[in-house]
Amino acid sequence: MNEFLVKIGRGVGGVVGALYQAGRDAVDQVVVNILPFMAFISLIIGIILKTGVGDWIANLLAPLAGSLIGLLILSVIIALPVLSPLLGPGAVIAQIIGTLLGSTLIAHGDIPARYALPALFAINPQVGCDFIPVGLALGEAEPETVEVGVPAVLFSRLITGPVAVLIAFLFMPLLPYD
Amino acid sequence: MDALVLAAEWFIGLFKQGGDVFLSLVGGIVPLLIVLLTGVNALVALIGPEKIDKVGEWAARDGVIYYPVRYILLPVLAVFFLTNPMAYTMGRFLPEKYKPAFYDAAVSYVHPPLGIFPHINPGELFVWLGIATGIESLGLSVVPLAVWYLIVGLIVIFIRGIVTERITAVMWARREA
Repeated sequence: MNEFLVKIGRGVGGVVGALYQAGRDAVDQVVVNILPFMAFISLIIGIILKTGVGDWIANLLAPLAGSLIGLLILSVIIALPVLSPLLGPGAVIAQIIGTLLGSTLIAHGDIPARYALPALFAINPQVGCDFIPVGLALGEAEPETVEVGVPAVLFSRLITGPVAVLIAFLFMPLLPYD
Repeated sequence: MDALVLAAEWFIGLFKQGGDVFLSLVGGIVPLLIVLLTGVNALVALIGPEKIDKVGEWAARDGVIYYPVRYILLPVLAVFFLTNPMAYTMGRFLPEKYKPAFYDAAVSYVHPPLGIFPHINPGELFVWLGIATGIESLGLSVVPLAVWYLIVGLIVIFIRGIVTERITAVMWARREA
């Protein structure tokens, strides 16, 4: 009987401990990663909205973001093997372009809401291109694999970047936005 | 003097607008995010991330039927349980020729699930959230967009894995020739 109680006590303690630790981790993630980026994005959006630079950038981006051809061009430019590793770090560029598109063109209805889906892929063909050697090293890859793998991924993105936009474009009519 | 006051008001206005944006982000998203992150973190801890090691061994096999395991199942489980950047350590189960393609598939899936599983990559949430807030300010629900982003992402990483595997093979052959 005693043994049984100890077992239950341990089990419950384990679960509660895991939940508490999960809460601690969650708050940590929010404070360390999310809130600073929200502050940064808020500053940028505030300045952009207040100064009118937003309209100017929106006009610049509108022809690119509002059509399939434009989104394909955008994805190919971002996926260029010389640019993609530079645009990768922290996904900062993707996050800023995404926020600009969202808070200006989409929010104002300048481009149809459905275009959000292909746009999510068009702003992000460079994902992880700055991180290939480290990512491969985490997978315990040989130096030779890294030498072949880096250009292989970079060139692959030139193909799969626009392909992703195209696929998202085909799925776009399924979104219930009019 | 009036001009100075006007200029100062405009200057403060820049940050006031930013403050309003910040308040709406913190008030609208952070509470949900904290509870959601807690739930998923607990789930991952209780299941135990080491359980997916078996899938890694399984994904290493040759043959066409293992393509979806290697470039859909393994990347999805890896990013869900290990999150960015530890997900890429799952590559250690694969032969060298598949490692670049697996990395490509896994790293391409750290953003598509963010609308539903933000724990995968909370530091890069705005890849998703930037565009999603635009949808929200139109008064539309972002959930359909989140779901289709996640589904289309699966197709994209599958294609990406296969294409990168081919390109790696070609470059490897050329290197040895």
